[in-house]
Amino acid sequence: MTAARLWATATAALSALASPVGAQAYRARLDVGAQSVAYRGVTLDSVPVGDTLAGAGGGPVSPDGFAVTCLGADPYCTFFRPGPERQAGPVTGVADISVWGFGVPGLRMRASARVSGDLGDAKIWPGTDPEFELLEGYAEYAGPRLTARAGRITVFSRLGVAALDGSSVALRLAGRALELDVYAGWGLGRGAVLPITSSVLNPLDEYRPGKREIVVGGGVRWSDRWVDLGASYRREVDQRSEYFVSERFGLSGALRPVAGLSLTFGADYDLAQAVWGSGEATLAYRHHVFDAAAGVRRYRPHFELWTIWGAFSPVPYRSVHGRLAVRVTPWLTLRTQGERYSFDDTETDTPLADAETDGWRWMWGGTVTVWEGLTFDAGYHVEFGAGAASRGIGASASYAPRPEIRVTAHGSTLERPLEFRYSTADLTILGIELEGRVRRRARMALGLARYADSRERPDAGSFDWNQVRLTARVSVEFGRGTETTAPAVINRLPSGRVAR
Amino acid sequence: MTRRIALALLLLGAPTAAGGQQRASFDHEKHRKVFPACAACHLGAAQAGAALLPAATVCASCHDGTVQPRVAWRPRDTWPATNLRFDHATHRAAIARLAAGAASACVACHAEPDAPWMVVTPVKAERCFDCHGIDAEHLAAPDAECARCHLPLAEARNLTPRDVAGFPRPPSHLDPAFASGAVHGARAAAKTPGGVLRSAQSCATCHAREFCVSCHVDAPEQPVIQAFEPDPRSVAIQARLRRPASHADPAFLVRHGAAAGASCRSCHARESCLSCHATPPAGSEALAVAAPGRGTGAVIRRHAPASHVDGFAEAHGAQAVANPTQCGACHIRPDCQACHRPAAGAGPGYHGDGFLARHPAAAYARHTACTDCHNAGSFCSTCHQRAGLVAPGPLRSGYHDAREFFIVGHGQAARQSLESCVTCHAERDCQSCHSALGGRRFDPHGPGFDAGRLRRKNPEMCTACHGAAIPG
Repeated sequence: MTAARLWATATAALSALASPVGAQAYRARLDVGAQSVAYRGVTLDSVPVGDTLAGAGGGPVSPDGFAVTCLGADPYCTFFRPGPERQAGPVTGVADISVWGFGVPGLRMRASARVSGDLGDAKIWPGTDPEFELLEGYAEYAGPRLTARAGRITVFSRLGVAALDGSSVALRLAGRALELDVYAGWGLGRGAVLPITSSVLNPLDEYRPGKREIVVGGGVRWSDRWVDLGASYRREVDQRSEYFVSERFGLSGALRPVAGLSLTFGADYDLAQAVWGSGEATLAYRHHVFDAAAGVRRYRPHFELWTIWGAFSPVPYRSVHGRLAVRVTPWLTLRTQGERYSFDDTETDTPLADAETDGWRWMWGGTVTVWEGLTFDAGYHVEFGAGAASRGIGASASYAPRPEIRVTAHGSTLERPLEFRYSTADLTILGIELEGRVRRRARMALGLARYADSRERPDAGSFDWNQVRLTARVSVEFGRGTETTAPAVINRLPSGRVAR
Repeated sequence: MTRRIALALLLLGAPTAAGGQQRASFDHEKHRKVFPACAACHLGAAQAGAALLPAATVCASCHDGTVQPRVAWRPRDTWPATNLRFDHATHRAAIARLAAGAASACVACHAEPDAPWMVVTPVKAERCFDCHGIDAEHLAAPDAECARCHLPLAEARNLTPRDVAGFPRPPSHLDPAFASGAVHGARAAAKTPGGVLRSAQSCATCHAREFCVSCHVDAPEQPVIQAFEPDPRSVAIQARLRRPASHADPAFLVRHGAAAGASCRSCHARESCLSCHATPPAGSEALAVAAPGRGTGAVIRRHAPASHVDGFAEAHGAQAVANPTQCGACHIRPDCQACHRPAAGAGPGYHGDGFLARHPAAAYARHTACTDCHNAGSFCSTCHQRAGLVAPGPLRSGYHDAREFFIVGHGQAARQSLESCVTCHAERDCQSCHSALGGRRFDPHGPGFDAGRLRRKNPEMCTACHGAAIPG
């Protein structure tokens, strides 16, 4: 998408939002963000076996010093050269508008759409395709006991955040403590607002269903002062074959027996594959001086049945984790958290290329609030486990001379060794960010950061390169009608709050 | 006696400047042998219509340049601003009683007990209390007694805002509990046996309506506040809202909704709720909307609840889906979508700066479920493909070069981190070895694999590797 087209589209969207609408009140928010970033990947190359040389470590290398991999009788050995530096300039604009006051109390229309593009010299940054996405767009009727939506909706449940084109109905009973909801429609891809049939979601040409799935789901929740309990169910069915793509059930909840103490838990079960998915339970205690939590967790990936990946038996990991934050003095807070995890037995026999079976994460840090507008923060993190590791330190100083302006300087260093590839990266970041409220309903942020990247390898694949990243964000709110004049049922429904 | 009173008053006024001209102070003690009575100079204290201070010519009768050197003293033109009701004329009878049997009644107020003649000191309120039967320190006097000696602020018109700001603070006001409505509000609303609001007799000495309005949002609805006379000078005393003890409870932020209502209306306007809540929550209808004539009330800054500590974002899912209504009190759908449907141009957000460089560690072991926010195809695979990490054509070795035999021993890594594998590899890459239809026919099924169930749920998946001859 060219810059001209992008901005023409954004301008058109803005104009449409700014024009009078045939309703009593509306509220809109426009968020525009842009980045200037560089990226450097790798390029596959090969060399005839006969041209390889013995490297310093005894292994074969290309004539120009790259470690190569030679397999069996293959006449060529392969290796990856550092790729070219590629500049990206992703730009996105998100418009969110709610309109109500059509003469039917409780009726409103809402739409949230995104326009994306890449102003860089190569379209490499993920998330800029397609150029237009309708994140949500629905008509809604909301009463004290009923909320019904129809259109493109997003459902938040224990089973994940799912979008669909369809409708949902929620009933609130027993003084709003009990809520039942059901939804049905045509599904959209996981983590996306595009149908699974879209080529954008399938760059590797995987197996995909020819038609969108039919999604049906629902849930029940109970909430009172002491407890939140919820159960969710969702099934996705292939329209063409009428076979299951996914069928899952989930539980989630929180118990608050005494002030400050809570137990949060959740789990999901894959009915289609008859396996438990992910689950967790965390016991937390919050005191005005400290905050502590400890818990257990299990993570198992979920794959739909249109792929073969679920049949490859991915194994879960189980972990114990904890965190502690202590307000040592009114101006000093110290924090630490950690997790240790271990994968279940994979039942594989791989003596020639074993991998780590467990890992751990740990971080600690502190925040010093010199006064309300001046804050210093520093921390250290280390993560070691299967596939990759990282460790580094980071620090920031944030100064807000007035509530509507904040400037933050930050710096960090990072080491990132990989388990399966020789490429330990050292990264140093120094940056500054300015955030401010330009007017009552407009906020902006500007960021500048220098990245110094060093790839350390024992062959010619090592390189150093630097880049400067720029970010800019603007959020503007406008509307007609105020909170106090909006119908009560609309007021109960979050929409269009002033940006903060 | 009256001369002594006048003398004492002269002493009080002497050190101050008047009319921009420096006046010499009068040293009473130095003149103790000259004046046998106060009224010799301060006739006004005893006699209606007479001046309280002597004319300069009175001094010149001695300080004529011959007998004594000339002096620059002259009587003051203005008197210090005060809110005292006292004047000598109305106390003349009492002064006369005090004078009975004494050299001068003036010393009863203008000198310390047993002080030598003409050693005068500033008048203390306690001297007034001696006669008025009040047994207390000045500022600890009963509320009802303030008005006995003091005018209400609104009537003490010669006081400047600076004078008002300098009013001493009674000990009762130092009590942390005094700021609560149960204490200062109750005192202000109490009535005397005669049915008069005590606030009019005590609080009004230092305060006026504007002072109350500087805090009270519900001032127009409070009769006690409306009973005060208006006076803008009263805001020279700055009031600061103190957070009630109940609000310091870490659980208060979460549970305040249940108690929200009329009890909040003194300190909170409806805008207080909207500082955090996306829309007016239940209970806010009991609060007034901010308007002229009402106090600003408590200025709320949006704070994350105590539960939103570091790491909360990564673990909020269970709580959010179990009680979305609670989240909805402060968050709107775009808040969720900002992370769950990330925009490419938005810059660092949930993950922070530099995450791209360290994402392998978080992704391999799935610190969180990446697919809740990112589509593995459009986000991960697309980026990896453009970065050259996805091998075109037949599966070749070379990328995982830290393990020489990775391709023949990748099973463990694959079952542990399959979500990461599929961001670079499509099914065909694996089927070149793991299909029953060709290749090496390696069985990929492992722990937890339920062939019968999968076949019932979706046999089409099985046909990808088994064709029509699905085992079992």
